[in-house]
Amino acid sequence: MILQRLFALTLLAACAALAVMAWPYQAAFSYEPVGPRAYPLLMLGLMAIALLYLAIRPTPIVRKDDEPELDRASLIKIGLCTGLLLVFAATFESLGFILSSTLIGIPMARLYGGRWLPSAVIVGLMSIALYLLFDRAMDVPLPLGLLDVLEN
Amino acid sequence: MDTFSYLGQGFGVALSPYNLVTALCGTLIGTVVGLLPGLGPINGVALLIPIAFALGLPPESALILLAAVYLGCEYGGRISSILLNIPGEASTVMTTLDGYPMARQGLAGVALSLSAWSSFIGAFIATCGMVLFAPLLAKWAIAFGPAEYFVLMVFAIVALGGMAGDKPLKTFIAALIGLFLSAVGIDANSGVYRFTGDSIHLTDGIQFVVLVLGLFSISEILLLLEKTHHGHKAVEATGRMLFNLKEAASVFVVNIRCGLLGFFMGVLPGAGATLASAVAYMTEKRLAGASGTFGKGDKRGLAAPETAIGASCCGALVPMLTLGVPGSGTTAVMIGALSLYNITPGPLLFEQQPDIVWGLIASLFIANIMLVILNIPMVRLFTRILSVPNWALVPVIAIITAIGVYAVHATTFDLFLMIGIGIFGYILRKLDFPLSPLLLGFILGGLMEQNLRRALSISNGELEILWASPISLGVWAMVALMLTLPLLRIWRRRSAQRRALADV
Repeated sequence: MILQRLFALTLLAACAALAVMAWPYQAAFSYEPVGPRAYPLLMLGLMAIALLYLAIRPTPIVRKDDEPELDRASLIKIGLCTGLLLVFAATFESLGFILSSTLIGIPMARLYGGRWLPSAVIVGLMSIALYLLFDRAMDVPLPLGLLDVLEN
Repeated sequence: MDTFSYLGQGFGVALSPYNLVTALCGTLIGTVVGLLPGLGPINGVALLIPIAFALGLPPESALILLAAVYLGCEYGGRISSILLNIPGEASTVMTTLDGYPMARQGLAGVALSLSAWSSFIGAFIATCGMVLFAPLLAKWAIAFGPAEYFVLMVFAIVALGGMAGDKPLKTFIAALIGLFLSAVGIDANSGVYRFTGDSIHLTDGIQFVVLVLGLFSISEILLLLEKTHHGHKAVEATGRMLFNLKEAASVFVVNIRCGLLGFFMGVLPGAGATLASAVAYMTEKRLAGASGTFGKGDKRGLAAPETAIGASCCGALVPMLTLGVPGSGTTAVMIGALSLYNITPGPLLFEQQPDIVWGLIASLFIANIMLVILNIPMVRLFTRILSVPNWALVPVIAIITAIGVYAVHATTFDLFLMIGIGIFGYILRKLDFPLSPLLLGFILGGLMEQNLRRALSISNGELEILWASPISLGVWAMVALMLTLPLLRIWRRRSAQRRALADV
């Protein structure tokens, strides 16, 4: 309940901030009666009303049977996983696809309960295979990064 | 009998060897994607959009590929429901109720092939319905002006909430977030930059693929993390693989009934496969009465939701093709794909590009037949895929998702944006918000704003144009109906409670 209220209020604050941001949106000269400001403001307004209602009367959360209660351990795991994804995004171009995906793939596999060796083998092979599949076979360009040297 | 000559033309397109291979690949990829935990039809279709584009597939082949993947995913989802008792997605929950008990009784092969057959009949009925109704609807839809379109989209959004049942408010909020997000980027009419924060990466708005993969793939990866400790074991599919004639005959009436029901539920925006399968199951359970062993492995209990899902998936394509208004998350993704090809779905599509429309419809027939045929020899192979452990699967999903996003614009900004959206999606899911309304809102948002502004330009700012024509008045009436539905449901629940209290 408290989480839901908190979420609703945070989103409400975001709505307000976005509305302030949208306020000066005016077309320099315009041929139409409705400018670029009206639609976003309308949506934000409706959202604000709904969120306010949710903050006052939160609805109970139905949890599925196979979904355990969030504890500290899973929260830490989720944080780690998010961190890994961010590292992935940050190193995607500089290290290149193969290296960065191996770099984050192995700890990620560990996070989901894999053992070191099988994780390393599978992730390593998969990143090379996916590179070849997408970059070479399907013409989806992927960065080579550091491995550029091998190319020449 | 224009329809039939067009349909013939469509089969000509779909039966070309190139498109046949495309459809076959699509059904295979779709089945595997649908099987895997954490990937459903929405991700499957979204991941393939950039790839289909990069491969340089012509539009009709790309659409056939996506439709085949869509059907394949629905199909793969059922394998994990029946063998693992884990519904791949919300719509297959009903399948587990009788499918898993059947598998436990050693009838896994029969359950799988019977469900494939049911879904085929459902899809067949719906595709026939589509052939009959879509051109009519398209003809009628030409009378729609911007004002009518705007009202229609309001209806689509409201219907989502009205149909959602248990949580209308959260559905509305999710849809509104999507509607708002569509406004990010440069405004096409006035050239004003909206909510871009002076970042050049956002001038185009949020990329559709980024939003979809963030919301569905990344958040699912995080959700899977909580479930690592839960080991599930698949039931072995042994013994008889194919249902016999007697079994097929015993569920045939159920197939027909639920196929029609599923088609109409699919056409309605917002209802979709989840609701269709639930209603079909409940109706059949009630009709069977005491003679049924529902919940303990009744064949009718398996056939009913599967037929309805098959039918509603095809039914959902009707509003998408004729009106350009998607009725479900997956069709919203397909509209996103079409817009990459500069194709705007809508009534004019039927006149201007009949090859695409009828080719798609014909390929639905073909993909359905392929799926039934594939199922029988390949079930054992598919069940082996189910035993791939999460630790090997999740990194690969993460990597493929990143490739899908990177393929669109080749910037890492999109990767960061996707992760951000993914975390937001995860929080929304934990707080019990449904995510497909957000996606639908995002797709409808741009169209909604354009049509509203166009309508008001025509009337020079007079709001009356929004309810001036009989069509828009009719649609407003449906909006009102949808708005009262959740209230009515709450009121009924309350009075039932009161009655229960009075009895005590």
